[in-house]
Amino acid sequence: MNLTRLATDFAGIRMATPVMGASGTFGFGVEYSDFLDLDQVGAIISKGLTPLPRAGNEGVRIAETPSGMLNCIGLENPGIDVFLKDILPKVRKEAPNTVFIANFSGSSVEDYGIMAEKLDVDGVDGIEVNISCPNVKEGGIVFGTDPKAAAAVTKEVKAHTGKPVIVKLSPNVTDITVMAKAVEEAGADALALINTLTGMVIDINSWKPLLGNVTGGLSGPAVKPIAVRMVYQVARAVNIPILGLGGIATAEDAIEFLLAGASTVAVGAENFVHPDAVVRVAEGIDAYLEKHNLSHVSELVGKVQIG
Amino acid sequence: MNETKKMVEIGNIVSNWELSADVNALVLECPDIVAVAKPGQFVMIKNEMGSTYLRRPFGVADVDKEQDLLLLIYRKAGKGTQELAQLDDGAPISVEGPLGKGFSFKNEGRTLLIGGGVGIAPIIYTARHLSKELDGPKPVILLGVRNHKELFWSDFVENFAEKLVYTTDDGSYGRKGFAFDAIPDILKEYPDIKHIKVCGPTVMMKGIAELAIKQGIECEVSLEKRMACGFGVCLGCTFEGKSGKRWKVCGDGPVFAAEEVFG
Repeated sequence: MNLTRLATDFAGIRMATPVMGASGTFGFGVEYSDFLDLDQVGAIISKGLTPLPRAGNEGVRIAETPSGMLNCIGLENPGIDVFLKDILPKVRKEAPNTVFIANFSGSSVEDYGIMAEKLDVDGVDGIEVNISCPNVKEGGIVFGTDPKAAAAVTKEVKAHTGKPVIVKLSPNVTDITVMAKAVEEAGADALALINTLTGMVIDINSWKPLLGNVTGGLSGPAVKPIAVRMVYQVARAVNIPILGLGGIATAEDAIEFLLAGASTVAVGAENFVHPDAVVRVAEGIDAYLEKHNLSHVSELVGKVQIG
Repeated sequence: MNETKKMVEIGNIVSNWELSADVNALVLECPDIVAVAKPGQFVMIKNEMGSTYLRRPFGVADVDKEQDLLLLIYRKAGKGTQELAQLDDGAPISVEGPLGKGFSFKNEGRTLLIGGGVGIAPIIYTARHLSKELDGPKPVILLGVRNHKELFWSDFVENFAEKLVYTTDDGSYGRKGFAFDAIPDILKEYPDIKHIKVCGPTVMMKGIAELAIKQGIECEVSLEKRMACGFGVCLGCTFEGKSGKRWKVCGDGPVFAAEEVFG
């Protein structure tokens, strides 16, 4: 793999490749060390962190669906304090050269500020703000579907950190460009899209939902065309860089996202199936660049030809 | 934690045959995983030609380290396993493993191995390990099956068993009832039993675990839960133990001390 062709600066974060491990599918990165060379991972994006430890949802959390999966883990994580004390030092020891992006969420605007400040430490190269979780304090509004709330969270985070801020958008909206523009105006350094699509599976024998939480987030190859379309729309609506994800399993998938306007990509559910996928996708992009006589991956970004 | 390096290996099918109307055996040539797999560990497999997306966990039923062979036994329960059952010899299967930590072994006393349904599969390798590799007292093996059509397990375990006991749901062979019901007589006959290891349906393991705890016999249970990855990242398979600690069935288990799960 020719790393000079792949090395990417994303919102001020210098990565070995433009291919990252997506939050919630890549643990804290080190879990993958048996399967791939972490030095060849563009970035580890952590499991979603919250202010307090969370046990997650009861009951069945995973369901296979056509070309994909539903999950309702419920943000199980040890909480920000345990992360900072125990996990981050271990990650920095075992993966000293890999970019580490911390994904987090909160249940109020203030929570997001507190989390951003706590994560403004050495060893964290950037932060990814998950705005798709329920807003408890504000009566169940979801930050990810209300542009004003999304902007408020973004501003709060920016005010509490010096790290590059990536805001991860939910696809469960009528017009994702409205959310993208609101977050850009509020000061986000980059956008990540898409998060999972809300879905449901019903067990026809018991007449009950299969998942313990009734609904879950759909990911895997099934969502890819939707994600590519949304990246394409958002790329035309904003000027900040985009991390594209949603159903990427191969280099060909990733190249679609780049052509649609993403400057980096992340592999999600596919990591569960093929744990070397992040590196395999990067190698495939490199082979594509070689074959098409391109000197850098950035030459693909947004180059889809319309009409 | 499991210290063995995890890997993905393409295993070609050596044989794939029917044991009963709904249970199949699958033998794969998998030298690297077979060399290090321990009793009670599992693998995640994927038929790359099949229509399902995620890998599926299968307990390691047995290994042949001289011939590099991995035995898996599976119930044809869903689309993925039905497609698997159609595959011919030579077909490649992607095998990820070995995963989890297996059973623990102590060099004292006899072991009672109990299996129910396809949960009997890991009992085979465990029995081989106890009787051949550790060269200790042969285990007593207690198997709970539906009926007399599921006695094919004998071919896999009888050479490693001091005594093989069946219970059937319908009484068509052996003792009628649950495996649980047969335990008091076994313990009376073999007072040297110091360990119980169980793999089967949760309700079965719960009853046995409670009995073992009450009688002060060390007991390990092997859990099964839906998981997407098998190595600790999807968090589909976590649970809170009796100690209050959160565990991952895939990485911390699938084998746990009975007290932590059912105590």
